[in-house]
Amino acid sequence: MPELPLSPPSQQRPDATRLESDRSTAMGPIIDFAPDVSCLDVERLSLSYDGKMALRDLSLRVPRHRVTAFIGPSGCGKSTLLRALNRLHDLNEAVSRQGSIRLEGQEIHAPEVAVDELRRRVGMVFQAPNPFPMSIYENVAFGLRLQGGLTRRRMSDIVEWALEAAALWSEVKDRLRASAWSLSIGQQQRLVIARTLAVRPEVLLLDEPASALDPISTLKIEELIRSLKSQLTVVLVTHNMQQAARVSDYTAFLHDGELVEYAPTASLFTNPRLARTENYITGRMA
Amino acid sequence: MSLAAVTGFRTWQPRGEGPWAWLAAGSVALSLLLLAGLLTLIAVRGLGHFWPASVSLVELDDGQVFAGRAVRELPLPAADGAGGARERLYFTGNRDLDGHVWQWVAVARITASELPRELVVLERSRHGDFIGRLVEVVTAGQQGTSVGEGGRGGGDGGGTATWTTLQERLSAVDALRAERDELQQRVIPPLVRRLENDPGDRATQRRLAETNERIRGLQESMQTDAAVLESVDGRRIVLTLDEVLRSWRPNAMSLPEKLGAWGRGVGRFLSEGPRAANTAGGVWPAIFGTVLMVMLMSLLVAPFGVLAAVYLNEVAHQGRLTNWVRIAVRNLAGVPSIVYGVFGLGVFVYGIGGSIDEWFFSDELPSPTFGTGGLLWASLTLALLTLPVVIVATEEGLVRIPDHQREGALALGATRLEMLTRVVLPMAVPAMLTGMILAVARAAGEVAPLMLVGVAKLAPQVPMDGEFPFLHLERKFMHLGYHVYDTAFHGDDIQAAMPVVYATALLLVLVVVVLNLTAIFLRHYVRARHGALSRH
Amino acid sequence: MIKPLSAAPSTRSPRRHLLDRLATGLIVAGGIGVILAVLAIGAFLAIEVVPALFSGALSQAQITLSLSPLAWGTLKAAFWALVFAVPMALGAAIHSSVYMSPRLRSRVKPTLELMEALPGVVIGFVAGLVLAPWVERHLTGAFALLLVMPLGILMAGGVWRLMSPALRQRLPLAWAGLWLVPWLGMLGLASLELAPWLEAWLFAGDLRGWLDTELGIDYASRNALIVGLAMGFAVMPSVYALAEDALSGVPSSLGEGAQAMGATRWQTLWKVVLPAAAPGVFAAVMIGAGRAVGETMIVLMVSGNAAVMSLSPLEGMRSMAAGIAIELPEAVPGSDSYQLLILAALLLFLFTFLVNTLAEVVRSRLRRRYRRLGDVS
Repeated sequence: MPELPLSPPSQQRPDATRLESDRSTAMGPIIDFAPDVSCLDVERLSLSYDGKMALRDLSLRVPRHRVTAFIGPSGCGKSTLLRALNRLHDLNEAVSRQGSIRLEGQEIHAPEVAVDELRRRVGMVFQAPNPFPMSIYENVAFGLRLQGGLTRRRMSDIVEWALEAAALWSEVKDRLRASAWSLSIGQQQRLVIARTLAVRPEVLLLDEPASALDPISTLKIEELIRSLKSQLTVVLVTHNMQQAARVSDYTAFLHDGELVEYAPTASLFTNPRLARTENYITGRMA
Repeated sequence: MSLAAVTGFRTWQPRGEGPWAWLAAGSVALSLLLLAGLLTLIAVRGLGHFWPASVSLVELDDGQVFAGRAVRELPLPAADGAGGARERLYFTGNRDLDGHVWQWVAVARITASELPRELVVLERSRHGDFIGRLVEVVTAGQQGTSVGEGGRGGGDGGGTATWTTLQERLSAVDALRAERDELQQRVIPPLVRRLENDPGDRATQRRLAETNERIRGLQESMQTDAAVLESVDGRRIVLTLDEVLRSWRPNAMSLPEKLGAWGRGVGRFLSEGPRAANTAGGVWPAIFGTVLMVMLMSLLVAPFGVLAAVYLNEVAHQGRLTNWVRIAVRNLAGVPSIVYGVFGLGVFVYGIGGSIDEWFFSDELPSPTFGTGGLLWASLTLALLTLPVVIVATEEGLVRIPDHQREGALALGATRLEMLTRVVLPMAVPAMLTGMILAVARAAGEVAPLMLVGVAKLAPQVPMDGEFPFLHLERKFMHLGYHVYDTAFHGDDIQAAMPVVYATALLLVLVVVVLNLTAIFLRHYVRARHGALSRH
Repeated sequence: MIKPLSAAPSTRSPRRHLLDRLATGLIVAGGIGVILAVLAIGAFLAIEVVPALFSGALSQAQITLSLSPLAWGTLKAAFWALVFAVPMALGAAIHSSVYMSPRLRSRVKPTLELMEALPGVVIGFVAGLVLAPWVERHLTGAFALLLVMPLGILMAGGVWRLMSPALRQRLPLAWAGLWLVPWLGMLGLASLELAPWLEAWLFAGDLRGWLDTELGIDYASRNALIVGLAMGFAVMPSVYALAEDALSGVPSSLGEGAQAMGATRWQTLWKVVLPAAAPGVFAAVMIGAGRAVGETMIVLMVSGNAAVMSLSPLEGMRSMAAGIAIELPEAVPGSDSYQLLILAALLLFLFTFLVNTLAEVVRSRLRRRYRRLGDVS
């Protein structure tokens, strides 16, 4: 994907500045829909990183069994928000947090919530494929083995199902014992998705899952995302606005750690209500 | 048209890099040359020690005759400065006859030098080697085969017959000796122990007496045969065969025979104990001591080193303090080994060892049990010495594992322990192995700290035997590196000890080099693998 | 095609969490314990010595009297080791980071690493019992070698420029580290052959006597020069490895800029690369000095161990490390000599620890700088 051209603010269209002044940001974000069934509820979430604010007082609700995309320029906090959803920031002592996140109504930061159980329910796939140095089969079975209590038969059924769900089964069914690192990058990313699906999460978080892939693999992943939404809630962080437009049902535009606009994808892309959003999606703001 | 013509370059010749570039290249070449020279020297001298070298019969201009092995030749320190005069050193053996084993001879004085086939070399348990002729073999009560008086004229045929007899008798003696050693080492000690516990045990007493009787009998039958030997200048000695350890006729051996003898010599060097104040025989106890100590050290250093590395890299708060600790640990790898030795002596030997003696072995005081250098303290000291190596190498391996591998495991619901044991540590195994091998290589070659905490010039007992508790951690032990130092610097006859020192040094270098090559190979493999991973 | 997801079972297992907490506790306790044990070395040495120092049990005069020859010997040995090691190590590092072909470099680096691993006791034995008597016998030859080697290398450079381009291509500078080896070997043998004539001609056939009568230098067979040579051999690989890392870590964009303007590689190195890498090279030398100061077996076996304080490189010395190794096992714990030796160990510890810390700080600064430079390019 080509770098977005940088343009100094003085070159912005005059009507863009007018739009901006019309609706002052002091009013808070523009949220253009009310999800009927929300799966994740983020409320007044603030996150700082070594004293630097990464997310500011951010609230949004992610609808169940839909694909929601977070877009925004680099450093806008979209990945930070995604990682907050399965508490990956716990690893980092430099991060401090205020506000709450609820999964199906339950606060994920509550003391009685075991973080590994939360992460099992909220799966995550990262930008670069990160298969473990084991066989393809073992990679998919990894999460299952952690929980134990599965017969060998049941385990291989689930592995097969997960690989099939990730549209990888037909490509690897003859070499399940081969090293996962022998797969192509695109296959590796689908393997990672299969691995995540195998533990049957309710939410799937995808952090720019296709940014390291070639166009054909990207297409396969996008197809996969669309097919998954009938069974789970998908949250997608992406740099690529065409991808957000193609795949997602709802899109949230973040900027500078704040939620700027959140609307059904079609309306956000065709009729953005804020100048900042429009500048970003038309490529005038990096 | 050439570019030179257009632009007016002087020539197409590249501009010289100047003399400094050549000096830089030369220092690479020089260090390679030095390294190759050192290794070749040790290898040639170390392996040459086992070669059954020819023994020459030398006649000097004053009529003196002697037999010996030429060892080396030097220019004579001539006052007249007329170059060319040289002198030669011969190893002549026969310490009991001559009182010395070396002879320097000016090359110019040698009138004749030949290699008679009948010259024999006998390695004896006393007085070192004998070089001369075999006259006859006397077996119990009867006259053995002999080459007759003046065996020199008897030619080859008669000598061969006597030689064959000697070999037969010697192998018989060897069998008897093996039986005696078996009885002494395996049968007697349990009986003695049983008697210590129950002095009144009649059956055991009887059995002990019987065994001792049997050993005496064996010893007597070993002494029944004797060889009559004659030095080349005609002095005779009679030698009972139990004193002969090995015999060969270097001048009569063919190349394959020499190769075979060489191989057996190497084998004996590796499997036998030292003799004659460490100047002859093998280094088996030193190999055993080195390996045992290194193994004990590995058992200590591997888990603790990995634990510390995992703590520093995976668990500890990555703040300034951790960074300082990391630098300090790294620096400890550069602290001289002798300082670790001082620490080992002060804390382990005098401190902990002294206290153990007071609490548990007070009846043996003032002679110390643990309060003196020993295997345990040496292993602990070396473990401390090599901990930084293992910690640094393991940490390097852990740092190379990309964070997204850890996050991937956590995102699947793994706990920290599960993430570490199933994903992170398996990936760091080659790095840990590298660290361990480097640690072992360093420990195997390290001598200075051992001089303070437990190495022995000559340990009568190896630290492991059939006696409870089998592994004697308090005993002193022998070590290859210290063997080199001690034999080379504290012997009476350095000239005679040199071959053994060379061979021991070669063995030590081989061990260290093989270990290091393995580590280098492993590290290469790790880098290649992680390189492939991080390209993603 | 895809079966619906079954409802996720709740599989929260308290055992896993207990295990996790236990293991974390173990790692923390073990890690801190190990690190404390390692760091205890400094503490132990200080505790043993400092009270004696302050209570006056060890008087100033006593310390000066017994430790100054040892300190002098240590510094003298380290100095001569560095005299041999630093030029060789830096030369080799420069050659292998700038000129050498990558294929040869990937072989030479592990070879020199191997050299670093050679046990000190083996080097000490060869230097003390083989090299020292040999040099004593071939004094002229040995000095001739010191002179002939650099000259021979320069000669090779000169001859190389006069060779035909085809031959130059066959013997490129990038492989000079290898093809100079036989040339140097030949030169060495030739100079040894010629040495007796040289000696007869210049020093009336007896250099040693000449040194004694003309310069008043007493030649000891185990002397500082031999120690320096042996220890230089032992120290050189570690200095080389660190200096090479520093030099080849300089972002290539820096050097390429200079070369694009027509500088030779040597000029580029001297004007651009070396200044950028200077702290790293300095750190390498420091670490080499630390190793030379602490090396025990080589000094013990080669120096003769006479506690003399002389400037002459042709006389022996006794170093702190060697003194500790010889005397400490016999010293009675708590006695003056014991405490003096522990004080020597403390000094060694402090010196190497400080030198290494300094080097480490310099190196980490440098790494950060390279990263910045690399980012810019």
